[in-house]
Order: sequence, then C-alpha cells, then structure tokens
Amino acid sequence: MITVENLRKTYGDFPAVVGSDFSVESGEVFGIVGPNGAGKTTTLKMLAGLVEPTSGTAEVLGFDPEDPAMRRKLGFLPEESPLYEDMTPRSYLRFFADLYDVPRDVADERTDEVLDRLDLEYRDRRIGDMSKGMKRKVAIARSLVNDPDLLIYDEPASGLDPLTTNVVLEFVRELRDEGKTVVFSAHNLFHVESVCDRVVILNRGEIIARGTVPEIRAEHGETTYHVYTTVELSATDGFPATEPEGDRFVAEVADMATVEEIREAAESAGGRVADIRTDEASLEDIFLRLARESPTTSAAEGGRGRS
Amino acid sequence: MTDRPSQRQDSTANGSTANDSTANGSTANDSAGGRVSGLRTRLAAHLRAIARIAQWEVSRSAGTVDRKTIALGLIGALVAVAIAAGAVGSGVAIDQDLYRVGIDSDSAYYDAVEQSSVLEPRPLSDPNVEIVVSNTHVSVKETQTSRAAYQAFREAVQSYNERQMAREPNQSAAFPVVVDLQYRERGALVPPGSRVDGGSGDGTGVGGGSDAVGGSGDSSGTTGTVGTDSSSGASDGDGSVGSGADSTAVASADDSSLGASSLGGMAGIFGGDTSGSPASISPPFPFASLVLAFAFLVPMNFVIQAYGSSILNERVNRRGELLLVAPIAPGDIVAGKTLPYLAGMVGITVVIAAAIGGGPVSVAAVIPIGLLFLSSTFVGAMFARSFKELTFVTVTVSVFLTTYTFVPAIFTNVTPIALISPLTLVVRDLGGDAIPLGDFAFSVGPILVAALVLFLLGTGVYREEDMFTQRSVPLKFLDALDSRISRPRSIATLSALSIPFVFIAELLAIAVLFVLPVDVTVPLVLVAVAIVEELAKSMHIYAAFEKARFARTVRVSLLLGGLSGLGFFLGEKFTAIVQLVGLPSLTLGQAAFAPSGIGIATAAGLLVAPLVLHAVTASVTALGARQGKSAYGLALVGAIGIHVVYNMQVVNALG
Repeated sequence: MITVENLRKTYGDFPAVVGSDFSVESGEVFGIVGPNGAGKTTTLKMLAGLVEPTSGTAEVLGFDPEDPAMRRKLGFLPEESPLYEDMTPRSYLRFFADLYDVPRDVADERTDEVLDRLDLEYRDRRIGDMSKGMKRKVAIARSLVNDPDLLIYDEPASGLDPLTTNVVLEFVRELRDEGKTVVFSAHNLFHVESVCDRVVILNRGEIIARGTVPEIRAEHGETTYHVYTTVELSATDGFPATEPEGDRFVAEVADMATVEEIREAAESAGGRVADIRTDEASLEDIFLRLARESPTTSAAEGGRGRS
Repeated sequence: MTDRPSQRQDSTANGSTANDSTANGSTANDSAGGRVSGLRTRLAAHLRAIARIAQWEVSRSAGTVDRKTIALGLIGALVAVAIAAGAVGSGVAIDQDLYRVGIDSDSAYYDAVEQSSVLEPRPLSDPNVEIVVSNTHVSVKETQTSRAAYQAFREAVQSYNERQMAREPNQSAAFPVVVDLQYRERGALVPPGSRVDGGSGDGTGVGGGSDAVGGSGDSSGTTGTVGTDSSSGASDGDGSVGSGADSTAVASADDSSLGASSLGGMAGIFGGDTSGSPASISPPFPFASLVLAFAFLVPMNFVIQAYGSSILNERVNRRGELLLVAPIAPGDIVAGKTLPYLAGMVGITVVIAAAIGGGPVSVAAVIPIGLLFLSSTFVGAMFARSFKELTFVTVTVSVFLTTYTFVPAIFTNVTPIALISPLTLVVRDLGGDAIPLGDFAFSVGPILVAALVLFLLGTGVYREEDMFTQRSVPLKFLDALDSRISRPRSIATLSALSIPFVFIAELLAIAVLFVLPVDVTVPLVLVAVAIVEELAKSMHIYAAFEKARFARTVRVSLLLGGLSGLGFFLGEKFTAIVQLVGLPSLTLGQAAFAPSGIGIATAAGLLVAPLVLHAVTASVTALGARQGKSAYGLALVGAIGIHVVYNMQVVNALG
C-alpha cells in the first residue's frame, strides 16, 4: 500500500524528516508517533503529495504521491481542518464529491451514512455555527466522500472531548474492519495503543522504534517488580533497601532474579515476601525513554516548527 | 502492493488523468489520434474542474453577501450606468436650459437658441426670461444673470454660424483662413537657445511646402501649422499661420503620429475642436471621454477587494489545504477562483461600454487592464500574511494601476507615450478614431503578458509548502521566482518572461521623465533602463541560489548568467513593437530602446553587442548572487554601471 525509502525533507538547514524507511500493508492501521516537531505531519504530507521530499522515494497505492490518480484513492484529514464556514455540511460534502467526480446521489447516500455513523445530526446548519467536534466529524466525512482505499489522518482526535475522541477512534477501528488502510499520527500514545496495528516512533525526524506495540514493548520496554516484604531489608549488592509503605516494606527491582534474592533475604531475616506486583512499560514510557536516549540528530532546537 | 493493478484500472474508469489513460492503453498513445484524444480528455477534465471551482466560488461568495448589500450594489450600478448613458446622450450638461430667452419662432436666431443646450426659447409674451430677442435687437436687463444669458446667446449664435458654415460645399470660401492646432514634440518645437513663449517668428512666415510633422506629416503640403517645424528643417515658419489655396486643414487620424486625432461628431463634449475658425479652436483635451473611460476602472477597484479576500481566505488557517489534496491542479483552482471575478469585470465592462458608446475595441482594451488588476491582486494575496497586509496590497494595486492607466490617457492627443495605457485606446475609440492594430498591440500586449506572467508566478506558490508559511513579502517573491525554476534553461525562460515588466517599467520611466529637459532625461532614462534590466536578469538567479537550486560554483554562475542574458536578449526582440507606434521618433524613445539594438537601422550592426552585454552583466550578478545577498548587491551595482556605460556609448555612437 505504501513504501517509503530513505525519505528526507529539509527546510533550509533544518531536517524535518531524516531518511525514513517503512511500509504499510493493506488493511492495517499504521501509527506514526512522536512529540511535536518530530516530523509526523511532514511525513504524512509527503505521503499525501502535499510536500515534496528533498530526497528519497515514496510510493503510495502504486503511484507517485503527487500523481492526481493517487489522490482519487486517498482520504486526507489534516490536523487542523478549517472548513468553509459559510457552507452547510451537505453543500460542503457535495462540493468535494463533485471534485472527485462522485455522482450526486452516490455522494448524498455515502455522506448520509457516514454522518449517521458519526452521529452528526445538523447537516443543513452553517458549519461556522458548529462546535469543534461537529466540525471534525464533517472533516472526517469529507475524507470519505470519494470512498478511498487509503486514509491519512493527522491527529484525528486532537483537541476533542473524551466522548468525541472515543467516537472517532471507534470509527477508525470500523474503517479497518471494512478493509480500509489507515495511517494516522498522534502524540497521545493511548490513542495509538488502542487502535494501531503497527507503529513507528519518530523523534527529531528520525525513526527510533518500529513494530507492533507488543513488539516494541518487548524490545524496548522494562517490567518493574514491586516486591512487598514483612521485614525491612537494607541494601545489598543485589537489591536496593526496602522502603516502608503502610505496615509493609517495598523494593522496586527490574528482574525476577533479584526478586528471588529479596525473597531469600526476607526469609533469612525472619520475614517473607508478602506480595509481588508488576508494572509493564507503556508505550509512553518507552517513547520517553527512547527519546531521552536518542542522540541529537540535528540542530532541530529553534528550527522551523513543523511537526 | 498486490492491489495496484486494480487501483489503476479504477482510476482509469474515472477517466480524469493522462497517467490513467497511459497506464491503461499504451497503444493509444502511440498514435496521433490517441494523443489528441488524451489531450482532449485532459482538457475536458481541466475545464470541468475549473467550472466546478468557479461555480463553488460564486455560490460561496454569494452566501457571504447579504441581500441588502446586493440590492444597494445593483442600485449603485444602475445609477452609474444611467449617469454614464445620460452623459453620452446629452453631453455633460448640468447647465441644461439655464437661461430663458424670449424669442419669436420666426426669428432668424430661433434655431441658434433652440439648438443651444444652455438656452431655452420662450414666447415673447413670457415675462420670466433673462433676455428678449426681437428681430435684430436684444434686450438685456441690468442684472448679472441677464448679462450672462446674453453672453451665452452670443456664443450660441457663433457656434450656430460655424456649424452652418461647416455645411457649405466650398469650405475654402467658408473658411478662407483656418488654423490647425497640432501638438508637437517639445524637443522639435523649441530649437536650442529659443524660448517657447518668445517664438522666433511673428506669424509672418508662410507655411506650406513639405511639412514633416513627426515624420508623418501631411504630404499634400497644404497644411499650415501653428508652431515650429524645425524637425525637418524644411520650413522656417516659426509661429506661422499657414495658408494656401486649399488650406482646409483638418486634423485627422493619419496626419500625425502624435495623435492629434479627429474628435468626430462628439467634439462638442470632447473639449472643443482642433481646427476651424480661430475663435472656435481649443486644445484637444478629451475631458469627457477621459471621464467616461474612467468609469471602466471604478468597478475594478471594488472587484479586486472581493477577489483578494477570497484568495487570502484560502490561506488563512490553512483552509485551502483540502483543495490541494483533491485531484485538481493548482492552476485549475486559481483559474476557477478567478473566473467569476473576471467574468464579472467583463460583464460590467460590456455594460459600461454599451452605456457610453464604446465599441468592441474599448471592451478589448479594458479586459487586459482587468486581468492586470486581478493578477496583481492575486500575487499580492499570495504574498500577504494577513488581511491587514492584503488591504495594503489592494490599495497599492488600485492606486498604481489606476494611475498607470488613467494618467497617460490624459495625453491621448499629445504624445504616443500615452499608448502605454490601454485606456488611451478607449479614449480614442470613444472619439471615433480607428485604432491601428500596431497601436492596439503596443498598448495591450505588455499588460496582457504581464498579467499572465503574474498569474504564472502566483500559481507557482499555490502549494502547501508556500501558501501557509508566514514569510515576508520579499522572501515570498523569491519563492515565487524559484517555483518556476527546475533546470538551468528555466533561467532563460524567466528572463524572457520578464520583458513585459521591463517594458512597462521603462515606458513608465519615459512617461514620468518626459516633462523634463531632454538633456536631463536621457541620462536618467539610460540609468533607469540599466537598473530595470539588470534586476530583471538577476533576481531569479539570486532566488535559485538562495533556495539551493544550483551548485554555487563559478562555472554554474557563468552558465546561468549566459542563459539569462540570452533569454533576455531573445525576449527583448518583442519590444520591436515600439516601432509600430512611432515611439523611437521621440528622443526618449531612442534612449530607452535603441541601445538594446532593436529595430533602429543604424544599430543593426550592433546586433550582437546587446547579447554580449546582457550575458556579461548577468554573469557578473550571478557570480555575486552565488555568494549571498551582500555580494549580489555589489555585483548588481557593478552590472548596472557596465550597462550604463554601454548605453551611453551606443547613444553617442548613434548620434
């Protein structure tokens, strides 16, 4: 569906995207994760043919991204989706359907269905009089007006209330179930974990991790063991000193061998291990750690502020 | 990846792109028929997209205007049309029937009074009159109004008599002495050392003989002229009143390159006659037609406000981004958004032309002005960062273009420089003059091409990477230039495309400077020409280097400089059109255009010299541009210096 090889974009001396390589398979939800300024939006816009790469290649749906034929099969939702506020959702969607040569009756039927699913009632009200969530739903409906095979969504739930966010994320899952391919970016990692099949993590324009969320967690994540004992233990070479917590004591360690050492030490001291709890690293934790460890790849600080 | 073939087939089914058809049927493209079919399909797709954008622009814009505004606009337009129509139908006559004249219908003066727009005939019995005319006696009251009415009566009778005389078959008998007023180039009118007001002759000379007026004088040799005939040296008739056996000289369209044209039947409202009895002549100042021609410009100033807002609206908050990701070319979007405003301008122009008596020439002359208004506003709206800046842009466009088109038209009957404005064509068309094709092309061509080039530049930055950035106007200008550069030969193309702007700027310099003494203006024009041309040849090279389009090496700089010089030289050939309107007959015209080696016979041998000049100076600036802004500035000064020296040498060589 999408193949990207050594894709690079620089603005003057500022490298927004540094040699990306990835591919997206048909029917999957692919996430591009990273903080502001990581290069997510630039990457998506290069895929949508809006931004010309400085070097490297991208093939989308078998076409060069700037090929109008590709755009006929693409639904794009930018991060900011300012609409023409004097229009109504119906006239707005009809206009875009016309641009994609979608017959009027097909367009009406399609947009009615999408707006029903998104629970947007006011279809003949001025867009300018609508809430942000409603406008976002109209924008999502517009991205589907041409029944695209590929959807590129840039921060689709950004700035929405939790209820609308859930509607949007659930809608993305439904699109995947219908066989659509969705590429979407987010800096809210919970959104990514909840809907993405595979992700790449970008930092300062560079991919620093990739794979499914479990794969990334296995490769880059850490499990923390909270070991609760009935006696206080002082630090040794093998484990840290326990800290009092209520009527027990707790130590945080990183592996089961150390847990075993604590158990032995507790029993030697006349006590025992009362409880063991594990904390799996979230994608956010992994991302933060990777971002800290990632070498500075550019003079990005103070650079041109595109994300 | 497995579904690529089917996707291409789907795209082909939509039948909207050339690539689709290419993918689907390679044999079709092998044949000429297939290529034609492909072109037709692509053209149809473009037109369909443009029509949809245009339709949407109309409906969306209509939605932003409330009904009251529409109604007020329509009323205003109707009033304007009515006023214009009234002005043409009856002249500009706020003094219609100002004075009442008691007069018998059998009186010999009745027709004179009746035909006067100022006087209103009343029966002799009417007590409410300013003057009374009975037989040969005129009764005037001791009031100021009555005396003014008497003066108007005298003028009415005089005009009536002249009209009657003009109908005489034997014009020599009717007008034994005729003064023909013609405007002449000042350099030719005032010989060195003489004074305009003094005159070297006292009217004692006898005109006649060869009368080489501006190079295209009346060959009949019967025209006497007021003024100096020094350009030919064939006559010494300074201040002479020409006469002859058949000296019924009438200024006509073909008797002077300086455009002392006949005012036809509308002379009465066009500011007076240029020939006739001495009492009736007045300078050929086409006041009424100028006012009427101005009516074409007024609506344009309003249309560009709406148009500029519409363009900028696409850029505010990235609103137009979704159009860019739709399967439409940016050029189609721009064309679709522009079309309604252009159509509106054309519609208004046609209505105004119909109302004031303008013909197709007036409409054809005004449309390029409208295009230039729109294209300038488009580029301005693409460069402006806010509605505040857009306001500055539209006001600047309004003021500059209104001035550029209106002021030269004032000199319609004085100098061919007036033809730099298409409005001059309108004034002449309203005056009933035939417009030679050369004049039309000279006047309209540069403006039309300039408008198209501006649209081209603006469309170059109608893309995501340029539309939504908050860069300063100069940087956006460089972006626009760079957007049209993809390979070295683009440099030559851009240099050639700069010619209309160079042409307009140089003509403007002439128009501004021609009132000064020739000794001062010629050097100034030569410097202005050098500045304009060196900027035109180098700015896009600087933009390309700044955007890292080419390697900053000496070899590349010399290549780009050479290409720029070549493109400019070839494009400059289009300025040969000045030959068609006699501009090189002016000293300033020679100064501006002859050094470039175009058309002047004595400069034919220097054909290669301008090419060398342009290549050398463009290479100098390119070498500077590769090293950055400061070096470019210094190199530009140097190139201008070389150009000025060259111009001076050529002018001296040409004598």
